[in-house]
Amino acid sequence: MVVARPNIHVKNRVAIVGAGLTLFRRRMLETPRELAWEAARMALEQAGLTLRDIDCVVIGSAPDAFDGVHMKGEYLADGAGGLGRPTVRVYVGGGTGVFVPIAAWWHVASGLCRSVLAVAEEKMSPAHPHPQGVFAYIWDPILERPLGPNLIWIFALEMRRYMYKCNVDKKTIAKVSVKNKRNALDHPAAQAAANITVEDVLKSEVLVWPVQRLDISPVSDGAGALVMVSENEARRVTDSPVWVEGVGWTLDNTHWYNRDLAYPRYVNYAARMAYKMAGIERPWKEIDVAEPYDPFDYKELHHIEGLMLARRCEAPKLLEEGWFERDGELPTSPSGGLLGVGNPIAAAGIMKVAEIFWQLRYEAGARQVKKPVHKGVAQAWGDLMQAGTVIVLGN
Amino acid sequence: MAWSMWWREPRRTYRFPGKMEVEKYVYTPGLHGLEAARALKEEGKFLGTRCGDTIYYPPTTLCPDYTEGELAEVKGPWRITAYTVVRETLEGERLEKPLVIAHIAPDDAVGGLIHYVDASPDEVYIGMEVEPVLKPKEERRGNPVLDITHFKPRRPETEE
Repeated sequence: MVVARPNIHVKNRVAIVGAGLTLFRRRMLETPRELAWEAARMALEQAGLTLRDIDCVVIGSAPDAFDGVHMKGEYLADGAGGLGRPTVRVYVGGGTGVFVPIAAWWHVASGLCRSVLAVAEEKMSPAHPHPQGVFAYIWDPILERPLGPNLIWIFALEMRRYMYKCNVDKKTIAKVSVKNKRNALDHPAAQAAANITVEDVLKSEVLVWPVQRLDISPVSDGAGALVMVSENEARRVTDSPVWVEGVGWTLDNTHWYNRDLAYPRYVNYAARMAYKMAGIERPWKEIDVAEPYDPFDYKELHHIEGLMLARRCEAPKLLEEGWFERDGELPTSPSGGLLGVGNPIAAAGIMKVAEIFWQLRYEAGARQVKKPVHKGVAQAWGDLMQAGTVIVLGN
Repeated sequence: MAWSMWWREPRRTYRFPGKMEVEKYVYTPGLHGLEAARALKEEGKFLGTRCGDTIYYPPTTLCPDYTEGELAEVKGPWRITAYTVVRETLEGERLEKPLVIAHIAPDDAVGGLIHYVDASPDEVYIGMEVEPVLKPKEERRGNPVLDITHFKPRRPETEE
């Protein structure tokens, strides 16, 4: 069966039929393969399938240097159900979490596999004194590293540029952190859920001005998994499949000198690709719920604009109006996002896709958004800070 | 510019040393891994993961069919399935006593481990029965490999 989409021909429509997550915590006892197994088992259970029903496995995990094991996709493959099957690990840094379902999509859409287990795992706790050290190697060794930078420098510069360009103050940006950490109170896997105020954010420790402690997502261990199947298979196992309607991914320039710091082009191009595939022309009207990538609070606003859910520099205004609250016009990060649920890099992205999946099935419980939902978008950002990955889901 | 020209520049010119910022890694043993390490340290017992009729060693927590396994004792006997002999250090210095390294599998479990065997290269053979020699209890640190000092051949005269 060949299904025609507005601008793409695929062999099979692809549906998500199950999702699973482990707890997100600073230090987990479980090994990487055990984390992958716990999430994957939960996803299979929700789909009503067993490992026997799975044709192919896609694993995603960010730098090997976090877990401290080279080729860690292979290292945890048995936990991800990958032994004796066509298995591949994909990796685009922080964008991996959304790239895993994208890769799983083309496994199924091409007709190569009927059912795919998509597993993302991250264990950031082994690196000492702090996993922050792992990030040192993303810098240009000649032009940047001699200055002794750390990761937060990037975000401080971006945040500053965004604040300047869009004339936003820290008070407004802090509201993202307040919103997401509060949303996360309803998330059973959450690590950093809290009822805080804007004042708490503004009074928290300054890390690299203007970035403060409560502007940042935590360091986490965790895993997430999705079961993705072809249309025939989906109709067999569930009455409420969630369709993958569009996927997109883009690389921007990793070098600072030629990259727009105030506007995430990498997300915008990826989003345009995904919307085009999904036949979405006015995302700000057609998208009902969104999970933009929010490792930092300003980054959510940044990405809302990149996803064209708000005009440039308009996101802070809409935020002030309560537009992005769970009962708002366009709820963003109803899960609690990375700021609230936690940030085990690859697993955090798949957590966002899982949240859209649960929202579109009306299974999010206390986290369910107030408005009726038909289409949702999840997005992540990574590599050397310049990769955008976007997935559009519909019910 | 050719490499040789660069090499002739004064020291500390046009060089870009990078520093490793991660000083060390601290790994966790996992669910069954922790229990197994504890059993070896406290009781001198080897634990594996039982899935149906099969025991997997080292313990994996999960079974091939994705269910959760249960802990079960592995009693051996242990046999050498493959071995090699190291005669020099990495720097090329000759070792006084050649080091025999073997993959050793217990008869009652699937899997095995790699460890030293206290035997001369002439006497060791594939299928040889060996037994673990543990550190004294007070010296064991809960490390499933290093709490075993080595394996030794199981000779008739050592048997009771």
